[in-house]
Amino acid sequence: MALPAFAASSSDRALAGVCGGIAEALGVDVTLVRLVFALLALAGGAGIVLYLALWLYADDHTWPAAIGLVISGSLLLHALGLSDRAVAGIALVAAGLALAWRRGAGLRPDAPLSFGGYALVGVGAVILLAAGGDAPAPLLAPGAVAGGLLLIAGPWLWRLALERDAERAARIRSDERADVAARIHDSVLQTLALIQRHADEPKRVASLARRQERELRGWLYAERPLGDDGSSIVAALSSAAADVEDVFGVRIELASAGDAPTDGAVVLAAREAMTNAAKFAEVEEIDVYAEVSEAEIAVFVRDRGVGFDRASVPPDRRGLSESVEGRLERAGGSATIVSTPGAGTEVELRIPRRAS
Amino acid sequence: MSRRVVLVDDHGLFLAGVRAELGEAVEVVGEAGTVARAIPLIKELDPEVVLLDVHLPDGSGEAIIDAVASERPGVRFLALSVSDAAEDVIAVIRAGARGYVTKTISGEELAAAIERVASGDAVFSPRLAGFVLDAYRSEQAGSELDELTPREREVLQLIARGYLYKEIAARLDISVKTVESHVSSVLRKLQLSTRHELTRWATQHRLV
Repeated sequence: MALPAFAASSSDRALAGVCGGIAEALGVDVTLVRLVFALLALAGGAGIVLYLALWLYADDHTWPAAIGLVISGSLLLHALGLSDRAVAGIALVAAGLALAWRRGAGLRPDAPLSFGGYALVGVGAVILLAAGGDAPAPLLAPGAVAGGLLLIAGPWLWRLALERDAERAARIRSDERADVAARIHDSVLQTLALIQRHADEPKRVASLARRQERELRGWLYAERPLGDDGSSIVAALSSAAADVEDVFGVRIELASAGDAPTDGAVVLAAREAMTNAAKFAEVEEIDVYAEVSEAEIAVFVRDRGVGFDRASVPPDRRGLSESVEGRLERAGGSATIVSTPGAGTEVELRIPRRAS
Repeated sequence: MSRRVVLVDDHGLFLAGVRAELGEAVEVVGEAGTVARAIPLIKELDPEVVLLDVHLPDGSGEAIIDAVASERPGVRFLALSVSDAAEDVIAVIRAGARGYVTKTISGEELAAAIERVASGDAVFSPRLAGFVLDAYRSEQAGSELDELTPREREVLQLIARGYLYKEIAARLDISVKTVESHVSSVLRKLQLSTRHELTRWATQHRLV
């Protein structure tokens, strides 16, 4: 049977750190523990012996510690006014129970018997009863028996409780596992199946992998459900970016500072800007940065592609003017498009945050 | 002169890929897949740059930096990761890494980042720049964190928007050296801030 463990405290020590160690193990204030020891020390020096015994125990000297414990208990009982014989009897009972306990005795039917231990208990009980002349002894005998039972059954009950806790923890773990399995099935496994089917289209495979990575990361680190567009700006932009990656086989780096509940206009405009870059810029990578402050939401979509001259864009290409600029203006924001032929394009979207 | 580099990552495929992509640009002098192997290896080889995965089977990249930094102060660390949880990134930067890039970076950009770190500058990916801006943005007034100067903020914003250092220099009409010194100064502020404010911010905002 495992003995309760505690180590002398190295940080919280007045003498050897025994009080500190106990306080740590029990999670109580060290002052309280010291007070108990001080009071016990007044009882015929029991506290001092107990302290030494526990010190030995913490140092792994189990048997000397046990003897110390018995002596300490005897001193205490003596101090409480019991006769020598009663104290000796109780000490023998305690020593016998301890021996039985060490041998692994308990209430379980398969527990081994410790004859030496039970013999000591018997002798102790006889001495105790023979000390009948003392007034407190007859009262103490039933108490000693009850205490002994508790000593034997206690660890067993304790372990039973621990096992129940472990069982519950295992059940929670298996529930979690099932949950994770379901999510992985709906997302990662589906994607892997798609990748196998499109193995000869490297761009498609790359974008599928990117999209899945984004989604998985959102779930792992932002606690967004897999497959959910999310209700925040960053989540919605991330999902829009994944769509554009899927369709056009580009890579979109999304960075952000701050987040807010989603805003339809700015996300849709940003998606349009990403789509434009993917379609016309002739690049493989697009950078998107979203910055959400108290006052406004700003989104930047940038590519290092071919760029264009605003004047030469045919008027029927309504993407930028309608879907980006017009949309932002109607929503009370603004869009700025800076493009230099040969040096890429940056679309800057700004929209004030609605008072909420 | 090609830089002497040690790669620390537990994904064999990824290591092979990085090695191939870097080609002649750097000299890969050693590889390790665990914290336990990396520490003696780095101490022995004393490379210029260690490319470091944030997560390893037996610990974190920080553990390696902690163990090596005092003995080999010349070794510079560049974190390279797919794990973009803000707290991980901030933690490895605070442990002393001079930069952070994501594993999707191209070989050419990675070689440039290694060169930059080797020459004592800092390398921020757009995502890291976003994290840092957010951390400072959410700071309350009276914080012990050194405030960013408006110029540093501007530089970080451009990094987050995907600008390369030379593009930032052109746009702000300053030299690339000045851009580098602004970024290094932000890195120093991040590493010196005594409060756990940043880590706490990062934990609170489990951002992607």
